[in-house]
Amino acid sequence: MIDQSERLAIIALVLILIGLPIAIFGYQYGLRPALAGVRTIDIIAAAPEDGGFQPDAIEVQKGETVRLRFSVPDVTHGVAIAGLGVDLGHIDPGQVKEVEVTFDQPGKVTFYCNAWCSPNHWRMRGTITIIDPADPDAHRRIEAAPDPVIESLIEREMDIDAPHDAAISPNEPVSAAEGGPLVENYRADLPVDFFDPLWLQRQSPAEAFSVLKETLPNLTDAQRWNIIAHLWTDSLAESELTWAQTEYIKNCAACHGETGNGDGPAAAAINAQLATTAMNNDKVASFAPASPTMGATTEIYYAKLRRGGMGTSMPGFGDIFDTEETWRLAHYIWRLTFAPAKPSPQ
Amino acid sequence: MTDSVPKRSGLNSLFQPRAKGVLLVSLALLIIAVVAVPWPLQPSAPTTRRFTMVSRQFEFEPNTIQVNQGDTVIITLTADDVVHGFFLDGYGVKMRVEPGQSQTVQFVADKSGKFRYRCSVSCGTMHPFMLGELVVGPNTTFGRAVALIGVVAIGVTVYLWKFPLREPGESTTEVRSKK
Ligand code: HEC
Ligand SMILES: [Cu+2]
Ligand SMILES: [Cu+2]
Repeated sequence: MIDQSERLAIIALVLILIGLPIAIFGYQYGLRPALAGVRTIDIIAAAPEDGGFQPDAIEVQKGETVRLRFSVPDVTHGVAIAGLGVDLGHIDPGQVKEVEVTFDQPGKVTFYCNAWCSPNHWRMRGTITIIDPADPDAHRRIEAAPDPVIESLIEREMDIDAPHDAAISPNEPVSAAEGGPLVENYRADLPVDFFDPLWLQRQSPAEAFSVLKETLPNLTDAQRWNIIAHLWTDSLAESELTWAQTEYIKNCAACHGETGNGDGPAAAAINAQLATTAMNNDKVASFAPASPTMGATTEIYYAKLRRGGMGTSMPGFGDIFDTEETWRLAHYIWRLTFAPAKPSPQ
Repeated sequence: MTDSVPKRSGLNSLFQPRAKGVLLVSLALLIIAVVAVPWPLQPSAPTTRRFTMVSRQFEFEPNTIQVNQGDTVIITLTADDVVHGFFLDGYGVKMRVEPGQSQTVQFVADKSGKFRYRCSVSCGTMHPFMLGELVVGPNTTFGRAVALIGVVAIGVTVYLWKFPLREPGESTTEVRSKK
């Protein structure tokens, strides 16, 4: 027979064993979300070798507000959400950062790491698919829309990946600053094309140089290059320039180098693979004013940026930057070529 | 040894019995001077010293840098693999670098000594051992030690030469009378 006190003890034990988990899990998964009102999605951000973002594919309903909570187990990462202007900045191991986002448009947005964290850093991406319950196919239609610039390149049979070595390139330092006054002086003599943005973005500096050689025979080669340098770097407003500079540093400099010379800390490892693979075009591009840069065009840059390299280490940024932002970056590259920022005075 | 006695008694007042105290006190002053007085020799006038430092899992390169007190130190730090930090003990200098984006700090090394710099961003398993050392010289410790030994050696020699221990009676009275 169990006596009174023994029965009480057993009841207490059972209450603890069953009640405690119910209370804890009930709070965590029932009460807390209910009180918070928004769905919280916990995302682990680890280097790609260790799984990248987990989970890396999230579905939300159109109009839904979710809280994304990122934690980091290994090394410092950064988290940004493309197109929404969300940038949580660096997240250090042990740190947790969260952001509440409302998704109003059906479609797909990409969240990505923006702190260099491994040789595979650029693979560290995840997607949020926003589904419109009233139109369940909407997000797929938007995703499939082709890029008009790349379409146009294909129509003109321009190969984004073809080598574009230049027959001619400057053999002394070029100054975009000195090109400005020259353009003003010779405005009347310059071909009208030189003031047409569409023509400019489809021309390489070397091609434009040949045109100048014929139309302005009295100029020196240095003056012609300065004119080109000015025209190729003139298209970004100050605020766009700052934006591009920041994004370039965050997303590109680890490979292409801070000044665009192709000597970023990750470049050595990529270039070292050249010898061991059949790929001979996977050398991190340098944007220095020499061939093949002088044979490149802004639209090729744009296309390469959006689509990425073909089997090379150049990542595609089409999911991260919209078309306008991609143009900005493509134009910014010419800044690195022709008007490198002065090293800050120390 | 025996002929040192007449030599001593034949000398002038500096080596009279009272002079023993004078010798000891001046020796003590000399020792204090060697140990504590600021070293007058500055190997060079303060200049600006620039260092380019690479941080990678799990080291700084270089992991020792040496400057003179008063120098302006400019460190440009780059990261090779992941985000690292730099924190310099004693000076409180702090920065954070990401691969592809070098960072520069500038400070005046006005405190002498050795200061640890360490990675301040957790960067992996061996992160706690990612250390380096800033040495702010001139390195006077060695010079002082040599000078100290020299002074003590000369002092002891002079003392023993002038007041040999071989004459117990005389020296003990001397010491006692001093006390
Ligand atoms: C993981 C390293 C890596 C990163 C990060 C990277 N690139 Fe590249 N990029 C390359 C490599 C390698 C090539 C050369 C192979 C190719 O063209 O596909 C290249 C080529 C290019 C080209 C074509 C150059 C030419 O002459 O045709 C452009 C433009 C470019 N990158 C821009 C960028 C920009 C802008 C970013 C940042 C938003 C960026 N890259 C980020 C590795 C990288
Ligand atoms: Cu990363
Ligand atoms: Cu570290």
